[in-house]
Amino acid sequence: MTQTEAKPTKAPDAFEPRIVAFVCNWCTYAGADLAGTSRIEYAANVRIIKLPCTGRIDPLFILKAFEGGADAVLVSGCHPGDCHYTSGNYHARRRWTLLRALLDFTGIDSRRLFFSWVSAAEGQKFADLIDDITTKVREAGPFDPANPARRQPWT
Amino acid sequence: MDLDRLRRDAAAVLRDGRAKMVIGFRDRAGDRVPAFITDPDGAGELVFDETCLANLAAYLRKAELKRFRPVAIVARPHVCRSLLLLAAEAQIQAADVLVLAVGDQEYHGVLDLAGAAALLNEKYAEIPHDPEVLKRIEEISALSPEERAAFWAEQFAKCTRCYACRAACPMCYCTRCIVEKNVPQWISTAAARHGNYAWNIIRAFHLAGRCTECGACEAACPQGIPLMLLNVSLARGVEEEFGVKAGYDAEAEPLVGSWSADDSEDFIR
Repeated sequence: MTQTEAKPTKAPDAFEPRIVAFVCNWCTYAGADLAGTSRIEYAANVRIIKLPCTGRIDPLFILKAFEGGADAVLVSGCHPGDCHYTSGNYHARRRWTLLRALLDFTGIDSRRLFFSWVSAAEGQKFADLIDDITTKVREAGPFDPANPARRQPWT
Repeated sequence: MDLDRLRRDAAAVLRDGRAKMVIGFRDRAGDRVPAFITDPDGAGELVFDETCLANLAAYLRKAELKRFRPVAIVARPHVCRSLLLLAAEAQIQAADVLVLAVGDQEYHGVLDLAGAAALLNEKYAEIPHDPEVLKRIEEISALSPEERAAFWAEQFAKCTRCYACRAACPMCYCTRCIVEKNVPQWISTAAARHGNYAWNIIRAFHLAGRCTECGACEAACPQGIPLMLLNVSLARGVEEEFGVKAGYDAEAEPLVGSWSADDSEDFIR
């Protein structure tokens, strides 16, 4: 009986970031879909949540993701001018500018919060983006369980 | 400040029917508390000094006070800005409000909203952010992310979720606040870590571009949470990014809720 050479595996306790991606239905979700149908491999650390539009992404979604233990959050939608609903991404952009600074000031620093525009044709960009974010969050380490944004377990 | 003139004007607007109620401050054993005066003879108890931090514009939308409109309100510049914002957001009608405008040192007389806007833009266009608060913001921003998180963890841990900050704020006028919505419940109402964080962040964020830095929320907080650090850092960001100071224009579009194709996006990839 021959034994096949074992594949190099990660140590069981190696940190694998959990990344929550809030994406819009029309551009980034289609871009992620294209990455899939094109058989582009990218890090499996991302959990995609599809919404109609980036304009639908309430700051509370982002807080809830961090509360529940996300190590990083990505928000992504159509490029400016390409919004399916004309201006949803412009509204979102203004909100993010302020929210990002507020969260950074209060302890969710910008190593954990990412924003991007990915169109339906940019499957490769989506894959590269996820790989890059995953690498960065691996470096940043797990989101501190004592961070004020994290859910406090019942005692 | 000419307190006598303020009292005389308050009595006059009540007597000649320009207002059915004057909201100002009175003394109660050394504390400054809101006074709701409907009788011209009661105007003599009005006082005003630098400890009058409550933002009386918060009373304007109370249903109980509807029958007393038009209301005359003792307002320092920050409160005048709140009034203009309320008008811009269609929460008050210009005909329902008179302003007894109190300035830094002087008393500016009885004004309507348009007059208050003119006064603000002329004399109080450059109200600086509180330098003490700015200094604290710089200190906290210079900390590492972990230290910042620890600082705010400690601050928010004090929160008992009494919502005095919300009650004190004239711009927190939703009849049903997001924190009271429980299907689904976005913000935990328990006075525990994550709910406290979400509440304080969302309260501040919902005031982005709408906060006039009057300081009433922080003054109302029984736990001494430095809410002005959040408010001022947001207001400063609003000013730097979008060149907007809240409350100088009763016709202004809300900042969050409008957009421009030229907004910066150097953080978006």
